[in-house]
Amino acid sequence: MNFNRKSFLVFISIILIPLNVVAQQTEDPIIANILESLSETQTEDFDYTELAERLNRFKKNKINLNRTSRNQLQELYFLNPLQINALLDHIATNGKLINDLELQSIDGFDLETIKNILYFTTINSPTGFENFTLKNFIKNGENDILIRSGKYLELQKGYDNNENNTYAGTQERVLIRYRLNYQNNIQLALNLEKDAGEKYWNTTNNPKGIDFLSASLFIKDVKKFKKIAIGNYALQFGQGLSLWSGLGFGKGADIFSIAKQDLGLIPYSSINEFSYFRGISSQIKFGRFDFTPFISSIKLDAGTSFNSETNLDEISSLQQSGLHRTESEINNRSKINQQVFGGNFQYNFRKLSIGITAYQSSYNREFSVGNSLYNKFNFADKELKNISLYYRYTYLNTYFFGEFAQSISYGYAYTNGIMSSLSPAVSLVLLHRNYQTNYHSFFNQGLSENTNATNEKGFYSGIQIKPNRKFELNFYADAFKFPWLKFGVDAPSSGYDLFGQFTFSQNKTSKYILRYQFEKKQQNSIGFNTIPILIDVKKSKYRAEIQYQINQKISLKNRVEMVQLQEGNTAFRFGFLAYQDINYHPLSSKLSGNIRLALFETTDFDTRIYAYENDVLYGYSIPGFQNEGVRFYTNLRYNIKRGIDLWLKYAITKYNNLDVIGSGLEEIDGNQRSELKLQVRLQF
Amino acid sequence: MNPMKKIYLLFACIIFNLCVEAQSNYGPTISAMGNAGVALQDIWSAQKNQAGIATLKNPKIAFAYNNEYGISNFNTKSVVFAFPLKNYVLGAGFQTYGVENYNETKSSLSLAKAISPKLLLAFGLNYHQLQIENYGSAKSLTFDVGLQYEIFNKLWLGTHISNPNQSNYGDDTEQNISTNIQFGASYYFSNQLLISSEIEKAIANEVDIKFGISYQLAKLIALRCGTSVNPFKQYVGFGLNYEKLNVDIAVSSHQILGISPQISIGYEF
Repeated sequence: MNFNRKSFLVFISIILIPLNVVAQQTEDPIIANILESLSETQTEDFDYTELAERLNRFKKNKINLNRTSRNQLQELYFLNPLQINALLDHIATNGKLINDLELQSIDGFDLETIKNILYFTTINSPTGFENFTLKNFIKNGENDILIRSGKYLELQKGYDNNENNTYAGTQERVLIRYRLNYQNNIQLALNLEKDAGEKYWNTTNNPKGIDFLSASLFIKDVKKFKKIAIGNYALQFGQGLSLWSGLGFGKGADIFSIAKQDLGLIPYSSINEFSYFRGISSQIKFGRFDFTPFISSIKLDAGTSFNSETNLDEISSLQQSGLHRTESEINNRSKINQQVFGGNFQYNFRKLSIGITAYQSSYNREFSVGNSLYNKFNFADKELKNISLYYRYTYLNTYFFGEFAQSISYGYAYTNGIMSSLSPAVSLVLLHRNYQTNYHSFFNQGLSENTNATNEKGFYSGIQIKPNRKFELNFYADAFKFPWLKFGVDAPSSGYDLFGQFTFSQNKTSKYILRYQFEKKQQNSIGFNTIPILIDVKKSKYRAEIQYQINQKISLKNRVEMVQLQEGNTAFRFGFLAYQDINYHPLSSKLSGNIRLALFETTDFDTRIYAYENDVLYGYSIPGFQNEGVRFYTNLRYNIKRGIDLWLKYAITKYNNLDVIGSGLEEIDGNQRSELKLQVRLQF
Repeated sequence: MNPMKKIYLLFACIIFNLCVEAQSNYGPTISAMGNAGVALQDIWSAQKNQAGIATLKNPKIAFAYNNEYGISNFNTKSVVFAFPLKNYVLGAGFQTYGVENYNETKSSLSLAKAISPKLLLAFGLNYHQLQIENYGSAKSLTFDVGLQYEIFNKLWLGTHISNPNQSNYGDDTEQNISTNIQFGASYYFSNQLLISSEIEKAIANEVDIKFGISYQLAKLIALRCGTSVNPFKQYVGFGLNYEKLNVDIAVSSHQILGISPQISIGYEF
């Protein structure tokens, strides 16, 4: 496909012509908006399946606000702790909600929040096992089968039969996903997946069979058992220092996201092949106490190295990608056994929650420390015991939260924060953190500038000013220090991060956003130095965005983003991205979809720019753009008949300045890379 | 102090002329708000933007002690005094920085007037002295002008220019008295909450942007915090107010140099 304006226009008209066909509900702009704003905090291609799935489930089986709990409201993610408190307070003081309009009188609930919350909740719907019978289960249980496949249309080196060294499997990715839901009370999830380059059926390594198989059964509210999970599950407690698996958020445009909202035991239905548990767990309620014991045994991918002193293989790295395409990747597949067991006690009384988590994770091999000095404090044993204490407390307009975590016979980590609505228009968030270099946890997702909450001290302050419903200002400043060396930083270092965003929502459909971010960090000087000295790396990001609606069916969005980077005193390097989105979401049509045309130009990898892309349902991508070129994609959904939907995504990136794309086995000979994804869903 | 810190400090002294450039101390009420005080009204405005004392109803005095980065010799002691006289408010300030061998002092007088309840104007005169053992001493006179204007209800704008004629200690020394311009805005979101911002440009320094918040938690206590960008610093502090007496504490944190505490005691007659 050739990219000039003409073909682009032709393409638009092809998509927009078959309008006005009868039918039912379409794709979900509200969920897409929530996901996009949440995804701002993640830079890597993270799997949002779990979150999208949860929101879609609540959309169908709405939460009853009059019977809900803090824990359940936290699952909505877009509500911050102050809003949750305000809502629960309102119900506690004024009695049950009688009308949706009451929400408008609650502190901190703006129009968008109300619109979002009403999308997933109601004020009167049956919950739980009230009317549970096997007959009802069969009648009301919802089955959902989804099959997705996608591949690059160009031949990559790893699939070229003329090459000596190729990937073991085929180029396409395949996902088969089955869900059985009964209300919000029973969820059965099954995922079968194979990534590009992987074999359909593994014959060489344990376990044999499908490359990634994930199954989970999750039951809620059976008498004292608030939750029961069998199979794959995730655990999230406190502020994520000690035990947090699955999706977690960090610093971002939403200043409230730095206070982690832990969900405790949740089913794991994502296709991320790392950071989950397999076994059994349950949350049991005894009055004001919740007890969550858990046990898990799982096989992990790992690289190993031989230690000549002990004559044993040691774990040199745990592999998180879940890719098993080459001989070495296949060899490393499921190489290590990980066993985890432990428990969590939580005491809840009114606005206070205090919890204690204690668990042990053990491996069948020791970890090797590595030779570099920055690795000096790495974990080097087979067994790790973690214990942590966390709290949440609301007093008047202020929410206090924090966690103290200790890795037994190693270091500790702690964080404390407050979140306060100082006036109806102004909210403040402060958070202090101190993570020792020898603090270890294998399930650590505490707020940090590093990848893990370790070797870091910092102080975050953020403020949100919302003088009325139209204007919103968000600022934060975060200072951090790394007391020990890091990869590429041969001395203790420090830095800071500043962020400001101005949002003007002219009306329900038009929104203008300006954003500025500045980050200063230190790294080794470039070039030859006997003793590397640290230089400052300064990165500024500028963004402007406009969203508006032309009519009830078509909405548009433009974004311009620029990155400016300077290492030491070297010349500035730049990155630039601009795109135009067209979304077509009629209220009643079998067809809906969106298209994007993006132009990008960046100096190098360091100035790449990420942008969230719409994708097929439950498929999310946030690609990073580098070099110079054009990106186009279209994403369509077609409702064949009730219960059967079809999705198609076609994306192409064409580079102006490249003859070869990618490297190694991923390499494509040529200047364009295109991808096709197809998905079908059956619901019955 | 660890050796790394010492080395950094040495560098900082050399590079930024930290040891020799005049240290302005604005008192902990303003410091705790990231020094974003050009549009604030406080007794310490006498050192920051004199226009801010124009609304004073009773005489007031405050003493402050500031230590920088925990280094025993890097101390600033200051006192400010202001009293209303007919339609004017007169202010006086004295500030001394350093030790026996090296000492800087600044004595100032200011005259502030509320032209209208919304417009405050002030003029300040400062006498600077510098003494270095075995090197001698130098003196200089500078002046400041300041203005504050309530453009909307509860929204104040402020401007302050100090030493516009670039007066200096003379040719014998390279010590500078900084020439700078500051402007900013402050807004009372409620009786409890005040947010302040400021942009400052000093000749030969990068532009600094500052933000601060003050929150009156109860009648007796106010909490404050702030951030400045160039150099990047974070500030926290609180103030206790009991009848006519108030005690304010501020701590600023510089990423490399460390922490600087500050305390003041004030009395309103």
